[in-house]
Amino acid sequence: MKATLKESAGLGLTLALFAAGACVALAVVYSITSPTIKGLEKRQTEESLAELFPEATSFQLMPETLVSADPAVRFTESYVAVSGPGERVGIAVKAFGPSYGGDASILVGVDAGNGIAGIKILTLKDTPGLGANATSPNYFVDRSSGTTWPMQFVGKSLSDAFEVKNDVVAITASTITSKALTRIVKAAGDAGYARLKAFAEEGK
Amino acid sequence: MKRLWKIFSRGIIVENPLLMLMIGLCSALAVTTSVQNGIGMGAAMTFVIFFAEVVISLFRKLIPNSARIPIFIIVIAAFTTMVDLVMKAYTPDLSKAMGVFIPLIVVNCIIMGRVEAFASKEKPLDAAVDALGMGVGYTWVLVGISAFRELLGNGTLAGIQIMPDTYVNILFFTLPPGGFLVFGLFISLNFWLKKVFPAAADAAKEAA
Repeated sequence: MKATLKESAGLGLTLALFAAGACVALAVVYSITSPTIKGLEKRQTEESLAELFPEATSFQLMPETLVSADPAVRFTESYVAVSGPGERVGIAVKAFGPSYGGDASILVGVDAGNGIAGIKILTLKDTPGLGANATSPNYFVDRSSGTTWPMQFVGKSLSDAFEVKNDVVAITASTITSKALTRIVKAAGDAGYARLKAFAEEGK
Repeated sequence: MKRLWKIFSRGIIVENPLLMLMIGLCSALAVTTSVQNGIGMGAAMTFVIFFAEVVISLFRKLIPNSARIPIFIIVIAAFTTMVDLVMKAYTPDLSKAMGVFIPLIVVNCIIMGRVEAFASKEKPLDAAVDALGMGVGYTWVLVGISAFRELLGNGTLAGIQIMPDTYVNILFFTLPPGGFLVFGLFISLNFWLKKVFPAAADAAKEAA
């Protein structure tokens, strides 16, 4: 009995030593890579924001999280786009929701005129060649004008129905993806617009 | 030298981990929709198997037999996480395209299998050579499958348009069933290669 106890303790100790070694190695790699990873994420968000609101000069991270009216869609951070001296151009909401291949995240820009300023699909894990066409720069819902799937939302009024195959063009053979993404855009758009309206009232 | 070459060449055709041993298939089918993915996954997995085999072979006398599996997993998981972090930092697009399959290298049977069957018994140099052979064997199959699928399914190779504009993409090859079909074709290709190069097969048999 004593021998087995000693043995087990020995095993545990060896295991702990290996784990500790691995941890040290990982900590080193993490400390080297983490500033780059964080910087990349930040730059990606900034670039996307600038794409949605080209006229804005700066973006402020909003302290609070917006509340989603749609239970399937959640929001993380949102940004207020500011142009020049304190003029609010719009609001951008980062929204997550389920799609065909797992959660998708979209940055939705809403401008003060009750419209979608634009959307940027940040992550989408749907089927390549089908649902993934939503992010493809070579997949057009209208080939003559070169409109990609996300581009059809630019300038779309939030009072529209947001119904796929009605006022939103679906991606060929990917109705589920089209519907899921449209749902996220609609929820984020509504919440963003409500917040913008609240801003305007506060301002009065 | 000849002995090391035998160990190395074994993984490429005769004991190819994917086409002969038929292990580690999950990642091989899932990410092989574009050539970049194939190369990236192959490189990531080769890195992990190389360092995992070398480290475990170095410490093989210190690893108690009854606790070996958890120790293998710790070592493999540490190297996989490193690859994941490095890819996220320096090749973010590739890392996004691979998604969950990079962290899943931890449970890739090829690495576990080689560590258990080879590295835990052999000298570090042999283990390193074995790892490189298996890595190259894995990578060429991945790149081959993904080139085939990308060309027919998307009309491109490594993102460059190859097929003429009139070519209609065969979506089937991009989807999982197409992956299985192409994989099957590669298995038969490998059997043909084995017949064409019987010398290599004999050499490997001797080594084994």
